[in-house]
Amino acid sequence: MIAEFSASSIAFWLLSAVSIGSAAVVVFTRDVMRLAISLGVFFLTVAGWYLYFTHAFLAVAQVFLYAGGVLVLVLFAIMFLRRSKAGEPILESRHSTDSVVIAVGLGFLVVMSLRDRVPIALPQQAFPTTTELADILLGPMLPHLAAVSLLLLVACVSVLVVFGGERE
Amino acid sequence: MNFVLVASILFGLGLYGVLSRRDVIAVLASVELMLGAATVMLVGLAGLPSLSSQGGADPGTIEATGLLLLVMAAAAAAVGLALLVAIARSTGRTRTDELTDVRDRP
Repeated sequence: MIAEFSASSIAFWLLSAVSIGSAAVVVFTRDVMRLAISLGVFFLTVAGWYLYFTHAFLAVAQVFLYAGGVLVLVLFAIMFLRRSKAGEPILESRHSTDSVVIAVGLGFLVVMSLRDRVPIALPQQAFPTTTELADILLGPMLPHLAAVSLLLLVACVSVLVVFGGERE
Repeated sequence: MNFVLVASILFGLGLYGVLSRRDVIAVLASVELMLGAATVMLVGLAGLPSLSSQGGADPGTIEATGLLLLVMAAAAAAVGLALLVAIARSTGRTRTDELTDVRDRP
């Protein structure tokens, strides 16, 4: 029997393999730069998942915010904090059975609770345009947008206070 | 196999990282894994007609909600990293089992 491969199924398997692989490297590696690079790959695969769900604007926002913003912050944090020799394994873990049981158990619960309600083939959706998105954000979701904008402002001020609070 | 299984695996990996890692940077990276998995599952599930009596959410609404969620998570990551750098610069420690100042303070 010859399996039928569509572009959608190839994209699904590719995204699954790369996202799980990069997440595993983030969790298990002992090299901090490998962690940062794998985290960047994971962020890009999340953007790929958004594209798979036909949300192109969300995918672009993910690349800008995470692969271009948060990852740079992580790299700056590593540069500020790390003073080790290149290649030296410095990240330590305490692998325990309890952690495995909790992580696997929670994932199993999520899968079992949704297994009968989620189809394998997703329904095709139209790409929403930026005009539609703006109408929604500035219409029914305006209070949410204002709240998130306020939260972002508070976060910016908090970061400035945390970094600017030190006096020599 | 569908995206729910993949997102659950990603979330489980992130949770295991949070529970098992000792370095704060690695813990924050694992939290980012969990956030990414949760957002992927939210965006994927929101468009399914089988989970809603109204035939799935509008794609524009899903995208707007996901966008707000991305901004919130990015703000949280920025504050978390700023706190991490500030604590590490003042105490010189980045391991979770060494950061016991708050716990030990009377």
